[in-house]
Amino acid sequence: MSIDLTFIGQIIVFLTMVFLLKKYLYGPLNDAMEARTKKIAEGLAAADAGKEAKAKAAAEIDAQLKDARAKAQEIVAGAEKRAAELSEEAVVKARTDAQQIVEAARGEVEAEANRARQALRKEVASIAMMAAERVLDEELDAKRHAKLIDNVVSEGFGRA
Amino acid sequence: MAEQSGDGIASHLQYWTYVVDESNPFMQIHVDTMILTVTIATLLVGFGIWLKGRVVEGAPTGAQNFMETVVGFINDTVNDNFPVHNPHVAPLAFTIFVFILLCNTLDILPAYLIGHTAHLFGAEHFRPVPTNDLNLPAAMGVSVFVMVLYYEFKLKPVHFMKELVMEPFTSLVPMVLKPVVMPINLILKLVEEVAKPLSLSFRLFGNMFAGEVIFLLIASLLLGGGAVAMTAGFFVGLGWSFFHLFIGLLQAFIFMILTVVYLSIAHQPVEH
Repeated sequence: MSIDLTFIGQIIVFLTMVFLLKKYLYGPLNDAMEARTKKIAEGLAAADAGKEAKAKAAAEIDAQLKDARAKAQEIVAGAEKRAAELSEEAVVKARTDAQQIVEAARGEVEAEANRARQALRKEVASIAMMAAERVLDEELDAKRHAKLIDNVVSEGFGRA
Repeated sequence: MAEQSGDGIASHLQYWTYVVDESNPFMQIHVDTMILTVTIATLLVGFGIWLKGRVVEGAPTGAQNFMETVVGFINDTVNDNFPVHNPHVAPLAFTIFVFILLCNTLDILPAYLIGHTAHLFGAEHFRPVPTNDLNLPAAMGVSVFVMVLYYEFKLKPVHFMKELVMEPFTSLVPMVLKPVVMPINLILKLVEEVAKPLSLSFRLFGNMFAGEVIFLLIASLLLGGGAVAMTAGFFVGLGWSFFHLFIGLLQAFIFMILTVVYLSIAHQPVEH
């Protein structure tokens, strides 16, 4: 139980072991642990960054959706307005067209009636002439008595 | 049991000694301590080389997982105590802890098993626990002490020299008396410094040696008697084995943490 050469031997053993264990046992394990720590830290940072990017993207999507919706609203409103204008125009145009058609028809009808009246007047004149011929039994000069016949016809038809 | 009671406890506390020079008591070597420490060191380094080939950066398993727990524990201890980063301290603490723990754990092997095996190889005595040999704790304690001195001189030479002669009395005495108290200071400071390796090595040695002696006492007092005493001796010995195992772990931890603390004091930046 005394200090002797073993002491020197133990110092050598101890220091050699410190050196060798650092190289072969502690070093590799420590390196592996540090690498893992770094990896995990990087992974967590990446996850955080990903989450942030996702939130950013979501916000952007929201903004864009809102924008698009507003734009769509605008477009629909514009289209509705334009449609209303168009229909209004169409109605107005249809109304004027109808008016025109009605007026044209009315004019035509009047002209037709006039023509019919003229034709009837001639017919009545010739009938009256024939009747007068029968009555007088004599041929009347149509030109000479035209004024008389006209008077009779306008009297008869004016009231009709 | 007969030979044990005949020789007494003292015979079990003899080393397998190889005497180099009869006239000089220093010139002898404890073959058992050397064999055991070199074996443990070889096994540790072999284990390290074996493990190094299969260390993975991903999820660790088995032996790597276990050793990483130890490394993480040592790293935490060192980082908690150290003001600056020194890459040599954690491996040193790791070696001290693992090595002392393994040496202490040898104590739970039956002493006779190793002793009788050694007898077959012609050894007269064989001490199974290398930490029981004062040479091992002293060697480690002195190595640590030399490292502490090295860092003291390397990191703050002026401050350390000043501390040697100026503490603790200088500020208390008038200017004229300063040269007088300087030698006293130096002696006190030297005692303080030398106490570090002494307490470090004797603490470990004393604990492990006492544990061994108690094992031998239990054996010689109880195992020699009748069946009842044998049974009692078995259980008492078993209980002491567990307790001694715990002491071994505790002493390994204490030696490691004191090493870290002494070195961290040497690394402490100078306060002005």
